[in-house]
Amino acid sequence: MNTGRILVMACLFWTTVTAAFTAETLGRVEQLPSSYPDHWVIAHDAAFFHMLEGRMVVLDADAETAAQQFKGMVNSSFIGQFAQSVSRSEMYVAETFYSRGVRGERTDVVTIYDKATLAPVAEVILPGGKRSSSMPEKYALQLIDNERMLLVFNLTPATSVTVVDVAARKVLNEIPTPGCVLIYPTGKRGFSSLCSNGRFFGVVLDEDGEVVEKYRSEPFFDSNVDPLFEKPVIVDGVGYFQTFTGVVYPVDLSSTRPVVGDAWSLVGEADEGWRPGGWQLNAVNGSNLYILMHPEGYNGSHKDGGPEVWVFDLHSRQRRARIKLKTWGVSVMVTPDQKPLMVVTNAEMALDVYSATTGEYLRTLGPHAQETPFVVYQAN
Amino acid sequence: MNWLDRWIQNSSRTLAQNASRRSMIRKLGTVLVGASAVPLLPVARAADNTAPVSESGDPNSCDYWRYCGIDGFLCSCCGGTVNSCPPGTEMSPITWIGTCQNPEDGKNYIVSYNDCCGKSSCGNCLCTRNESDKPMYRPDAANDINWCLGTKSTIYNCSTAILVGVALEKRE
Repeated sequence: MNTGRILVMACLFWTTVTAAFTAETLGRVEQLPSSYPDHWVIAHDAAFFHMLEGRMVVLDADAETAAQQFKGMVNSSFIGQFAQSVSRSEMYVAETFYSRGVRGERTDVVTIYDKATLAPVAEVILPGGKRSSSMPEKYALQLIDNERMLLVFNLTPATSVTVVDVAARKVLNEIPTPGCVLIYPTGKRGFSSLCSNGRFFGVVLDEDGEVVEKYRSEPFFDSNVDPLFEKPVIVDGVGYFQTFTGVVYPVDLSSTRPVVGDAWSLVGEADEGWRPGGWQLNAVNGSNLYILMHPEGYNGSHKDGGPEVWVFDLHSRQRRARIKLKTWGVSVMVTPDQKPLMVVTNAEMALDVYSATTGEYLRTLGPHAQETPFVVYQAN
Repeated sequence: MNWLDRWIQNSSRTLAQNASRRSMIRKLGTVLVGASAVPLLPVARAADNTAPVSESGDPNSCDYWRYCGIDGFLCSCCGGTVNSCPPGTEMSPITWIGTCQNPEDGKNYIVSYNDCCGKSSCGNCLCTRNESDKPMYRPDAANDINWCLGTKSTIYNCSTAILVGVALEKRE
């Protein structure tokens, strides 16, 4: 067979192959909707064993297979904090980088992601290397002022709050909050922080992020006697704070200064020894509070989680249900719709999905590569 | 059989063999960054005492008495010891403290949980016990904070448990 015949046959073969199918397009990248379905959730995997690689994972809690559940992700470096805007369809991740990975020059930044593309669209550098580095805390990063301002909690361990005009992508101010921590949106344009002496410290801001009013409330709890969890659920401007033993303090955050209402208890006479506990121990849907509970509580059990989720009507203060979990739970979230799902981070760090109305176990998400999904957020 | 035993039977048998019941719950539960802050603490320094503390137990075990309030990776499993950091890391000068009872002498000791910093998570001997831990509005008693503060790098590697004084009474 000479060279010419080989070339002719090769060309015929190539023609045959290429004619058999339409070549696929290179470079395609998927997109998500700009507003996610109610039963999607965003799991914060803090990657506790390699914290520089934390991430926020978008999951479809309705889907049956691991592949169908996993919709996409964004990174969250070194135990970042997370918030999201409905009006702009954006996600905000406050994170920390070093120029040489674990050493070198520190840069703190709010990275802004588009929810549809999951691509970073902007960033705001946070000055001073002060961003609070702690376990994931919902109230370490909060939007106020109709989502125009993003507040970032700092701890060095001196405490302060950095005010970012996130719409304009620029830092406006830094406000010291001596002895007080975290950010509870308060009033039209302000926030409150919890203090070691059982008080709120709060400020009111003007449009430029300048302080126009400061205040300190009267003490309303004693952290030496019955500490307050720093993780309220907020419904219609009222924050419901729970203590380690199950006392609930409703705090009206809708006006300029917080107003502490009458306390009540999650635990009745027949519930002796039961206490609330967990990492993200509570969630809310409408007026229903979902809270992880454990029996035989003791000094140090407040983050253990529990075998049950109790459901309370926040208006009537009555317990509506006790949901016995398939596997011990550490964190809980509930979707915002009328047929809500409850997603529980279980003690083996998997995500169990239940009907939040019947308590029926539905499925376990994954297996996915996520390792420590400490906090799970609603879709929007 | 109580709830805890039932749960453990349904959980990892390997882990159950290696940890106490409650410490296993803590291991599998929230894991938090341990901590540290010595200079401002109103405690008598251990250096003022002349006799070493009499103690027993395994510093590589989460059940070791000094770890009653710890939350993180034990430095003794990471190339350091119960009171020293692994090579190449830097000990945070700022910390939170716990108060733990020494079963050998019955005294309550003030324990400084200084973090070792500048390398990524050690990953060995994760231990989460939260006795007397409080939310971060009480930073003197909060182990949710990454206490790699005041160091060249805030990257967390592991936690020590250093005796810094004798407590007059147990802190709740």
